[in-house]
Amino acid sequence: MSTKRSRDHIELLQGTLDLLILRTLRWGPAHGHAIAKAIEHGSDDVLLVEQGSLYPALHRLIRRGWIDFEEGTSENNRRAKFYRLTPKGRKQLEVETSKWDKLARAVGRILRPAEQE
Amino acid sequence: MRRKQALDGLGQEIRDHIERETQDNIDKGMTPTEARRQAMITFGNVTLTMEHTQAVWGWPALDAIRQDLRYVFRTLCKKPAFALIVILTLGFGIGLNTATFSVVNAALIRPLGFADPDRLVALHERLGPQDAPFSPPDFLDVERDQQSFENVAAYANVPFELSGRSEPIRIDGAKVSAGLFSLLGVSPLLGRDFQSEDDQPGTNVAVLSWGLWQSRYGGDRSIVGQTITLDRRIYTVIGVMPAAFEFPRRGPQANNIPASVWVPIAFTGVERQARANGFNRSVIARLKRGVSLNAARAELEVLARRVNANYPPELQRAGVAVGLSAAPLRDEIVGRMERPLLLLLGAVGLVLLVTCANVATLVLSRAASRTREIAVRTALGASRARLVQLLLTEVTVLSIVGGLVGLAASRLIVGALPRAVAEAIPAGQEFSIDFRVLAFTGGIAIATSLLFALIPLGTVARARTGLALQETSRSTPGRRRHHMQASLVVTTVMLACVLLVGAGLFIRSFSALMATDPGYNPDRVLTASLTLPRVGYSTAASVRSFHHALLTRASALPAVRSAALVTDLPLERYENRVLSAEEAQLAEGVPSTTNLSWVYGPYFQTLGIQLKSGRVFSDVEAIEPRGVVIVNERLARSFWPGQDAVGKRLRWGLNVPDNQNPWLTIIGVVADVADGPLGAEPSVHAYEPFSQLPDNVLNNTPTSFGRQVKLAVRTDADPLALVSAVRAEIGGIDRQLAIESIATMVDRVGETVSPQRFSAMVLGAFATGSLLLAAVGLYGLLVFTVSERAREIAVRLALGAQRTEILRIVIGHGLKLVAFGLLLGLGISYGTGRAIASLLYQTESYDIVTFGTVPIVLLLIGVIACALPAYRASRVEPMGILRSE
Repeated sequence: MSTKRSRDHIELLQGTLDLLILRTLRWGPAHGHAIAKAIEHGSDDVLLVEQGSLYPALHRLIRRGWIDFEEGTSENNRRAKFYRLTPKGRKQLEVETSKWDKLARAVGRILRPAEQE
Repeated sequence: MRRKQALDGLGQEIRDHIERETQDNIDKGMTPTEARRQAMITFGNVTLTMEHTQAVWGWPALDAIRQDLRYVFRTLCKKPAFALIVILTLGFGIGLNTATFSVVNAALIRPLGFADPDRLVALHERLGPQDAPFSPPDFLDVERDQQSFENVAAYANVPFELSGRSEPIRIDGAKVSAGLFSLLGVSPLLGRDFQSEDDQPGTNVAVLSWGLWQSRYGGDRSIVGQTITLDRRIYTVIGVMPAAFEFPRRGPQANNIPASVWVPIAFTGVERQARANGFNRSVIARLKRGVSLNAARAELEVLARRVNANYPPELQRAGVAVGLSAAPLRDEIVGRMERPLLLLLGAVGLVLLVTCANVATLVLSRAASRTREIAVRTALGASRARLVQLLLTEVTVLSIVGGLVGLAASRLIVGALPRAVAEAIPAGQEFSIDFRVLAFTGGIAIATSLLFALIPLGTVARARTGLALQETSRSTPGRRRHHMQASLVVTTVMLACVLLVGAGLFIRSFSALMATDPGYNPDRVLTASLTLPRVGYSTAASVRSFHHALLTRASALPAVRSAALVTDLPLERYENRVLSAEEAQLAEGVPSTTNLSWVYGPYFQTLGIQLKSGRVFSDVEAIEPRGVVIVNERLARSFWPGQDAVGKRLRWGLNVPDNQNPWLTIIGVVADVADGPLGAEPSVHAYEPFSQLPDNVLNNTPTSFGRQVKLAVRTDADPLALVSAVRAEIGGIDRQLAIESIATMVDRVGETVSPQRFSAMVLGAFATGSLLLAAVGLYGLLVFTVSERAREIAVRLALGAQRTEILRIVIGHGLKLVAFGLLLGLGISYGTGRAIASLLYQTESYDIVTFGTVPIVLLLIGVIACALPAYRASRVEPMGILRSE
């Protein structure tokens, strides 16, 4: 289904998607579609979520206790599920972010050693 | 809890999500249709998303299985006929196989239950062409001189009257050498084994079987050291054998009745001396380690010469010579049972094949009808693994239920096994279901169904999904699958044909057997067997007065037309004697021995044995020895062909000068009577009145010879109605006397043919079963063909084809398969018929009746199986079908 599109978009690694969701929720509760949009915008449409894959990820995070959800009313007056970060999730986000930074620096050094020095 | 909350409303959430995305797209300026399409694409597969999300929460495999199970039950309930047929087919096949395998296993494969059985051999003497058990002096010679064996032991069956405590009963016992149990490697459960000092005449000690100990003495452990009364003599119980111990073993050999009590063989001085006498002690031996059977046989040849040298000179001069032979004990016991059992196994194998072929046909047809469903599921994004799981779930459910039905069926079949059959098979009073066998047959049947269940998946994968979708809706089914189904049906018909011919041959053989003239009339005759114990009947006078009393009382019973006593009824053997005849034509093939019976009362009239010439015994001859004898036609013809034997003379023993036996005058010739089992050649037979059985035989003999007596009564009514009256009369003479058996002559005859009846019955059942399976398979195939070709048929009808023509096409299609299978089947049957020819009685392996009937039956069943689908096809409503496309 995504054969054509995957050429100019980057498929998300599972752990990355989790991290992006946690990061998105740092600014407050959001429903599924909003999270998907936030991830797309935040990455200049490069990190595309096949939107459906958001849901298994959300549930995975709920199960781990990193996020929680509550029924609420959305901007267009519809009932919707709002996901929000738990304290445990907030801590996890810090851990994951620093891990990610380290990894990104390490990968960057390997790929462009001259620029770094 | 958490899971339920989280998953609650997931579908709605996703729908909302897509709607929002659609709205976003419209805001971007897309048309609503395009906006929705793009939203769907961006989202991805909804069903998969839901599945994956649910999977986060649990055991996805289990969840899927539960779903599949629910789905399978729903669909199966919608088509109960399919489910039922598959379950019954599997049940029938698995049940039958397991039951038969268990029986064969018990008889052929299960070990003998003795230590190191491969070193156990049975020894025989050879008299002329025949193997026979040992005569005591010959056994003693071998026992003393042999070097090849660790030990040799003799044994002989002997019936006992067990009295005291409660009702007297007849039990089967055996006299055994003191070393027998240790030779077999089995020690008593309680008490001790026989010691060599027990093996003396007058030492009355006994070892009980576990069964007798339990049933008669309630398993009382203090029985050892107590006394029991056997044949009204006191014996001390010295031991009890373990439950699993059975000896002698059942089988075709002599002395084959498992004993309830064992006593020492204790040869008397007379027995030790009586050369060429009492050839009825079976001998078993254990080879020394490292000594081969052939080496032992070589030694036996040497020993035989030594034994012969010990025979009295006059016997040696008369050409009497014995040989000695040895055979593995296993061959001896299983021996002739092997072929019928292997035949049974072969038949069962065929049934298993039929079962598999049939289940395959059904599952294949079923799967074919699902090709479209599978294509739809694939198109909707079902993964391959998921589809396999779904398809397997259905077959697994059916297989498990089928397997359970099979288990129940095998229990039923084993339980229904006639007692007579159970006894005819060695080692076999206990048949237990062998679960390895169940697993094996069940495994094969189930593996077949699983294999064929997966075939449609292959077709879908090969063809592109879209094609499969189109194909199933429009055109005729896949050619490949069609061929496979057709060949499965042909195979089923072929195998059914082979089984039917086999069963037909056995049934024909059995009816030929039953139709043979036994030379007497068993109808409305009741018989009772008695043995007079030595204590209480120690003199000839007491035996004769018992005979007289019994005959008088029995003859006086109201419904009795005539009654008589005899030492052995037809189908039994009693005495076999060497004879010589006066003025005999000394031609080749003159028999040197004859069966001999002693009778009292109107025996020939009671049994309906025809008098061919001369007269029967007179009342005087019945009570006084007058030197008279009646012979059968075969004997008369052998010695005096073309002459009347009446008035000729014969005597027992060889025609040698010192033969002291008196000459007996033949006063009558009677019809030949089947002495052995039905169908066996009648033997030469002579009859003497009981009065000529010498007093000294009955006085004080250590054997029960002359003490066994059978009462036969002929009645005008149902012979079974006389049972209690006969029992009362016997009890009226001697209240302590146990009756060995009381049965109608018809039942006695029936028992002797039970192996043949069993073969015919079992094969008949197998064949009928496979015939039904073949019919079901054919029916299933045609139903599916018709439903697949509904469109074609509709077009034909719409174009003006007659309904009868449709009928003809469908039936023709089915019968073509039947005919093809039939042709192959008859070809194979000709071969199998030749293979079983030796098991048939007066029936050719190419029996015209069988080979003529089977095709008719199969074609008829074929027509019936085709009829319903064909009728349905001819009733197709063309417009309805065509419009529905």
